[in-house]
Amino acid sequence: MESKSYTTGSRDNANRNLEGSKTLMASHFLRALFRIQQTSTTRSSFAGRRRRIRRAAYASMAYSAGTRRAWSRALLRKLRSRARLRFPRRLSRAARPQRGDTDQAQVLRKLVPGGPGMDYCKLLEETADYIRCLTTQVRLMQTVMDSISS
Amino acid sequence: MEKERFLSVDWQSPDMNSGAVADQLPRPFLDLGWEQPVHHDAKFESAISSLVSSPSLNPSSGNGSVVVRELVGWLGSICDSGDISQTSCYSTPLNSPPKLTLPVLGHRQQGGGGLPMPGNEMADGQFTGFAANPGFVERAPRSSCFGAWSYGGLGDQSGLPEAGNLSRVPSSHSLKSAGALQMGVPDNGKDASKSNPERIETEMRSKLGGGMPPSSTSGRTMASGAANNVSKRKAASRGRGKEAPLSSSNVNSPTAAEDEHPDAKRCKPAKTNGADKDSVVKQETEQNIGASQKKGKENNAKPQEPPKDYIHVRARRGQATDSHSLAERVRREKIGKRMKLLQDLVPGCNKITGKAVMLDEIINYVQSLQRQVEFLSMKLATINPQLDFDLETLLQKNMHQEHEPLPQQVYPSEGTSTAFSYAQQHQGSPLQSAITNGLGVGQQPLCPFDGLADATSQLGSFWESDLQYVVRMGIGQSQGAEFFSQSLHAD
Repeated sequence: MESKSYTTGSRDNANRNLEGSKTLMASHFLRALFRIQQTSTTRSSFAGRRRRIRRAAYASMAYSAGTRRAWSRALLRKLRSRARLRFPRRLSRAARPQRGDTDQAQVLRKLVPGGPGMDYCKLLEETADYIRCLTTQVRLMQTVMDSISS
Repeated sequence: MEKERFLSVDWQSPDMNSGAVADQLPRPFLDLGWEQPVHHDAKFESAISSLVSSPSLNPSSGNGSVVVRELVGWLGSICDSGDISQTSCYSTPLNSPPKLTLPVLGHRQQGGGGLPMPGNEMADGQFTGFAANPGFVERAPRSSCFGAWSYGGLGDQSGLPEAGNLSRVPSSHSLKSAGALQMGVPDNGKDASKSNPERIETEMRSKLGGGMPPSSTSGRTMASGAANNVSKRKAASRGRGKEAPLSSSNVNSPTAAEDEHPDAKRCKPAKTNGADKDSVVKQETEQNIGASQKKGKENNAKPQEPPKDYIHVRARRGQATDSHSLAERVRREKIGKRMKLLQDLVPGCNKITGKAVMLDEIINYVQSLQRQVEFLSMKLATINPQLDFDLETLLQKNMHQEHEPLPQQVYPSEGTSTAFSYAQQHQGSPLQSAITNGLGVGQQPLCPFDGLADATSQLGSFWESDLQYVVRMGIGQSQGAEFFSQSLHAD
């Protein structure tokens, strides 16, 4: 994996925080991976392991974004509630019928965590940050995998 | 008060208007405007004819008065005069501007004798015509290009070069017709017209051609239909007393116009009360006229408008000016900005224009990213059990190699993962061998991170250089499994 691809866009204004958050994300994810690897036995199902790894990925994403972002807060909330309750959510965020509710906006709301609670303008902003974080996470995972499998 | 003077001259003493309309009326108020048009009679005439697309004007007829009347009549015919007649500003009852045009045209064609009688009505018509043009109401006090703008706005842009000249004429009239215009108007107009005839022309051209940035600036205040805006503008320019630069700045660039906007905005709360009276009158006119003129101007006005701080929003010319539409516009601009951000993030979206397509692309991209996370987690899950998690093996392997240890501080938890991440980057043989060795190798005492440190130093930045720094900090610490396990337990 080329290192240069990871440095693009890392210095622009929007990503000032990203450098530190990338460190955070990488460390969190790797630690989680290691933990999963430690705790998973040969008997543990492949699907279970996969689910755990996926959750670790989203957790590290949300952890790196912190509570600054609405989507990360919603994601953390979802992860924690799922870890504790394992029940249908008590009360999903009140989602008022939003303005500018085109079909696409609704689809986007489903995709982005915390979507239903935002108005269209905020949704776009959160989507941008979410995309940034997602790309970082994907790159991290690819690197991990490449290094593992190489 | 000059206002009353205006009124008295314009409205309450129509007799003044009769006959030497152009001669007497303009003088007390807009000498400036008149002087120049007089000089450019030929231009006026050509401009007028071009504007009105009517037969040749009569140059010999009372100088500016003819021109003015004709212009007024032309304006009247074009403008939606019906509403104007309702405004209180215009006491003279104007029956129908279109009617006025006929005498105007006819007068023009005749060559100019019978000014007096038609002139009287036409004077009224002028006022109404001008009043009809929202630009006048707002513009007259503020910029010398009133007429040019209004004429251009009215539709005929062929007379661009000469339109600038015309501006002075209508400005004077508009001042009169507006009635409520401030005292400073004539002075302003004077300075503006006298000082920048050329600029006015260029402004006119740019305005007419491009949808009139000055119109947008002044029109904004007008179109807002709010007393606040009107008073704001007046107050702002009055306060600053820079009429000439104001007009030129209005015209020359929207950015220049921006200067007055913040000022206008600031003056807004202060001046609102004071200007209520005159602004009320204008408000009606503007609203009436603005509605009719909205469609034509909206497209032109919008592109000229630079994005504003969304707390201060000025209505654009020809647009609705109530708070709802203003907020709506602000919201739209915000959304536009966010969409641009997203466009930069999503690869391959540079050529896409249009929100719907853009949204589709964004949705696809987010979905593809989420699918990638799923896929990679699946792959990691398959790989994971096979490799006894690599950190140890990698570390061990690296320890076997002769890598210089880097002097580092302890940074346990971070060091572990980051070291690993950097180790990943290192595609060289040490890693591979480490991994192969790792296969089937159980827990082993962790080597120091030296090897990793070396590996990381050799790496190009996997993440960024600061990550490398962190790794180096973390690496090279204590060696041994306990360090590693400690770091792990620290999670």
